[in-house]
Amino acid sequence: MNKRLGVYICHCGGNISDYVDVEKVKESIEGEEGVFLAKTTMFACSDATQKEMVEDIRNNNLDGLVVASCSPKLHLLTFRAVSERALLNKYNYVHANIREQGSWAHSDDKAGATAKAIQLVRSAVAKVRLARSLDPIIIPSKKAVAVIGAGVAGMRAAIELSDMGCPVTLIEREHFVGGRTSQWDILFTTNQTGKELVTKLYNDIAGRDNITLITGAEVISNTGSIGDFVLKIRVTPRYIMDKCDENNLAKAIEVCPVVVPDNFNFTITSRKAIYHNFPSEYPHYPVIDIENCTRCGECEKVCKSVDFSQQEQIVEVNVGSVMMATGFDPYTPGEGEFGYKLSDFAVTLPQFKRITDLNEGRLVYKGKEIRNIAYIYCVGSRQSEGDNNYCSRYCCTSAIHASLEAKRKFSNISNFHFTRGVRTYGKQELLYAESLRMGDIYFQAYEENPPSVDVNNGEISVSINDIMTGGREITVEPDLLVLVTGMVPRSDNSVASIFKLPKGRDRFFNEIHMKLRPVETVIDGITICGACQGPKNITESVNSALSAAAKSFSFVNKGQLALEPIIAEVDKETCNWCGKCQEACPFDAVKMVKEGEKEVAVINNSVCKGCGMCLPVCPVNAIDLIAFSDNEIENMIDALSSNI
Amino acid sequence: MEKKSARILVFSTEKISDPAIDMAGLLKLHYPPTVYTIAVPCSSGIKPRWIMHAYEQGFDGVFIAADGSDCTYGESCTEKTGRLVEVTHQMMKGRNIDPARLRMAAICSVCSESFVKQIKSFNQYLLQSTKS
Amino acid sequence: MADNIKTSSYDALVIGAGIAGGEAALNLANNGYSVLLVEKDLSVGGKMILLSKVFPTLDCAACITTPKVSEISRHPGITIYTGSEVRRVVKKSENNFEAEVVKHPRYVIEDDCTACQLCEQACPVVVKDQYQYNLVGRKAAFIPFSIASPRVAAIDIENCTLCGACEKVCPTKCIDFTMEPEEFLVSVGTVIVATGFRLFDPLNMPRYGYGEYKNVLTSMEMERQLAPTRPFNTILRPGDGKMPDKLAYVLCTGSRDATVGNPICSQICCMYSIKQAQLLMGALPMADVTIYYINIRSFGKGFEEFYEQAKGMGVNFIKGKIGKITEKENGNLVLRYEDINENRLREAEHDMVILSVGVLPNPDAASIFQGEELKLDHLNFIGQARPLANPSETSIKGVFVAGTASGPMDIPDSILSAGSASSEAMSYLIRKG
Repeated sequence: MNKRLGVYICHCGGNISDYVDVEKVKESIEGEEGVFLAKTTMFACSDATQKEMVEDIRNNNLDGLVVASCSPKLHLLTFRAVSERALLNKYNYVHANIREQGSWAHSDDKAGATAKAIQLVRSAVAKVRLARSLDPIIIPSKKAVAVIGAGVAGMRAAIELSDMGCPVTLIEREHFVGGRTSQWDILFTTNQTGKELVTKLYNDIAGRDNITLITGAEVISNTGSIGDFVLKIRVTPRYIMDKCDENNLAKAIEVCPVVVPDNFNFTITSRKAIYHNFPSEYPHYPVIDIENCTRCGECEKVCKSVDFSQQEQIVEVNVGSVMMATGFDPYTPGEGEFGYKLSDFAVTLPQFKRITDLNEGRLVYKGKEIRNIAYIYCVGSRQSEGDNNYCSRYCCTSAIHASLEAKRKFSNISNFHFTRGVRTYGKQELLYAESLRMGDIYFQAYEENPPSVDVNNGEISVSINDIMTGGREITVEPDLLVLVTGMVPRSDNSVASIFKLPKGRDRFFNEIHMKLRPVETVIDGITICGACQGPKNITESVNSALSAAAKSFSFVNKGQLALEPIIAEVDKETCNWCGKCQEACPFDAVKMVKEGEKEVAVINNSVCKGCGMCLPVCPVNAIDLIAFSDNEIENMIDALSSNI
Repeated sequence: MEKKSARILVFSTEKISDPAIDMAGLLKLHYPPTVYTIAVPCSSGIKPRWIMHAYEQGFDGVFIAADGSDCTYGESCTEKTGRLVEVTHQMMKGRNIDPARLRMAAICSVCSESFVKQIKSFNQYLLQSTKS
Repeated sequence: MADNIKTSSYDALVIGAGIAGGEAALNLANNGYSVLLVEKDLSVGGKMILLSKVFPTLDCAACITTPKVSEISRHPGITIYTGSEVRRVVKKSENNFEAEVVKHPRYVIEDDCTACQLCEQACPVVVKDQYQYNLVGRKAAFIPFSIASPRVAAIDIENCTLCGACEKVCPTKCIDFTMEPEEFLVSVGTVIVATGFRLFDPLNMPRYGYGEYKNVLTSMEMERQLAPTRPFNTILRPGDGKMPDKLAYVLCTGSRDATVGNPICSQICCMYSIKQAQLLMGALPMADVTIYYINIRSFGKGFEEFYEQAKGMGVNFIKGKIGKITEKENGNLVLRYEDINENRLREAEHDMVILSVGVLPNPDAASIFQGEELKLDHLNFIGQARPLANPSETSIKGVFVAGTASGPMDIPDSILSAGSASSEAMSYLIRKG
């Protein structure tokens, strides 16, 4: 029980004292049990007042501190730090919010606001009397980070962490690295190709001892938490031995009789069951797609490196932090959506990019030379109906860039853009300006009246009521129709459910706070970056990847972590294990242990997040949340209901 | 003496609904000053006995400003908060307290106006029901 | 003179203490590095600390900035010089930069000032308050703004008459007119440039009448009228103090406009205008708010939804570029524009016009680097050497760029960019070159 309390009531330069009679608050609090000193102050958060508090605490041996000021969201940490500087355990500090929930909310009723402030301060005093000193929960933190996804964000983050001296396990579900970036050709703004960028990153990673790259690898379980994640990873074999002869492998690919759609090229081409994505794909040697392989054995005959005896492996990885960089899927239009699947010549933007990459000299698709190309924007984005209300951010620039590249690479190309308002934000505007200069034609419609697509005997026609020309109906009959599809979350996001990662309204992974904690998730120790968090271009993905790298590094670099000790506590005397608390816990923090003959619940301190979900379900009221115990809450309620 | 406003205890949540109540103040959206807030980490961790204690101490009403689907501790929050309200309603009936004196609504971190609207209507209800 | 130069050393120098510089400094300090954070203004927090609320969450800007600012100012690993300038930076070798920093006199002893504001009350000089974007006045002895950090008075010596009134009333005797500029020679291992952006000055666009018509404001002036620390506590027409009820936003003022030398999109104006429109609908429930636009660019996370929300609240969106604004006798304004929907020229009358001014580069930082050149891009932003894989690298190895110094960005992107810059700075320090 704290008996020497200091209470400070803030004027907030008038923000509070214009409506709340702070002197009266002070007077009525002075007589409260345990209050040793009560003061008013112009700005409690000013350096001068903070210094004064530190001196007061030290000179008077205060054992509890209350500041009645603005919302605790602003200055709880400030005043906790004040008590720490005065060598008073910071959990002996209690904050009373008499501005946002006092003077401002009741600026129409000064007497009422004053009365409320008095009761709020009394209630804080009641709480601080019962407050106890707590130590942060110190847990060891393994100096290693797992990065899930080896696209451009994941690879870049891995290199950064490696540079900081932190061992990294880079886990990629596919058999090849590079993610979506490896599928793009010339990139805006550097004119590098996606392959070149990926090659550079791969070579950098390959040369580092402290990065372990595992491909064909999927996280299947996690039995740990911040500081000590234990991931089980299922690794699918390549069925090809490490040191293989390239010529023989080329023969093996040639003789493979199985032909399946090639997802690397977004199914516009096909590949064999033994394949690699492009000649210099990384890692360098191919893989056998065992799902489609018929085990005919032709490849084994021409290549000694084929090894069907390789087995699936389960690898365990122990890390202090996990970074999610699992990327996005391009939106797949529904059948008939703007002519998709009704004509072979209606393709998505990613398919179009592969088509232009795979052609040289002339642009030919399915035997037809392509000259006139129509682009319909916002396919699968900005939909008022359906799931995808959001703008996919990258597609306007990407489509314009792809259309310009097509014009540069092939002759006689004409581009017709059917937009909903071009969103080439920032410096990307220059690309749009260039496109206009190059003679590309832009139409625009509002969402209510989108362009329509007709397919007649294989011929496509696109019509629009163009708002730029007063709603005139314009029809274009293109050789190829490109549906500018947006980004959607990965269709297989099972890895997220393993970590219970929350998703936002847009179904992408959600950060805690876009501005305050933009790469952290509510699951401590797990960071997110890149397009798994929402649409981003490469630069934006890398910025978030490096931010997440710094954040993950800060979780592991000191070898230990301090966690907030506001957690659940079980009274072992009262508890007769029934398991209800374990069921209620969303974090798997409750375990049953035997205490002699008796079975009781225990809380894993480093896993408990202090939500309190276990409290109300206990049939014998054996659980309290530290700092929110029955005693504290009920004393606060008593203070709030007291008469002034 | 006739009361101008009812005494209402609000349980808010530190990360979601308390910021909304703060913002109501910031926007000078007024509500009765006999509305007091205790912030807890998550609305699904409120014990029915705390609520009962408030009635014993003379509070006219208790309002749970729940996390709803925004809860940072998981999706089960809504369901669990609903259940503890149910349990409390039973206890209230047992002690002959009008169950309508406990209300719950999901208040998102920016739902200030909704909070004030809810509280005003709750206040109206409580004033009328205590008069009769 | 040389005797007066103080020397010191830090792991990192961060130039600019706006939200990007502050974030970068915090990241470095939280990982155990010592940081010198130099800010030319009298307070840290940059432009963000002066904003009302921020899109798309409508968080109060102060409520997000102040906890960060106080964390920055209390952090034992961060030394802050406000009212200071980095004059010169020279790279001596890898991980070894030498910087010359000048701390301009504040004429107030920071440690002793209690921010009691008595000097402010006593000062007889009234000048325009730049922190309220000149909407109101301030004294020559003044605290920059109520949530400034440090929250310490300063004397605006340019306008001060040296009457001594402030000295007389100061209870802690912390006003000191004898202060001289202090010079520091600092050696650091790495440098982060976070010098931010400048706002387009609409005086360069006479056809909109800014400066001539009283009821034509910039968006930053409106931002101050909407902020919690706002000057009037309500929205007023500067012309006659009347509450406006028919407001117009002119998007792309000074952006996407080669005729004023800024061909690019400023990336933030659509969103901040939509945000202000929403706040205005709350503050002035009877008012009409119209946004004149070329394209609405609500591209970020939650932005499109925010745009839809504004439409749902009744904000009018008219696709059309404003040609010219004229003023009527009663102070109302007539906007002449090409209505794209109707495909004809139209006129509309509003009683207040807000120009959504764009983002311009702040190329000042480039000139302080001597020896090795800090290259600018062709738009005069700090150049990014490898924008895809290393977005914060500049032309000088070991010098990184954070936030809007490299191009237009919103707050979330600035913060991520700062995270990226601090990350690269850390690995540069650890790699030793």
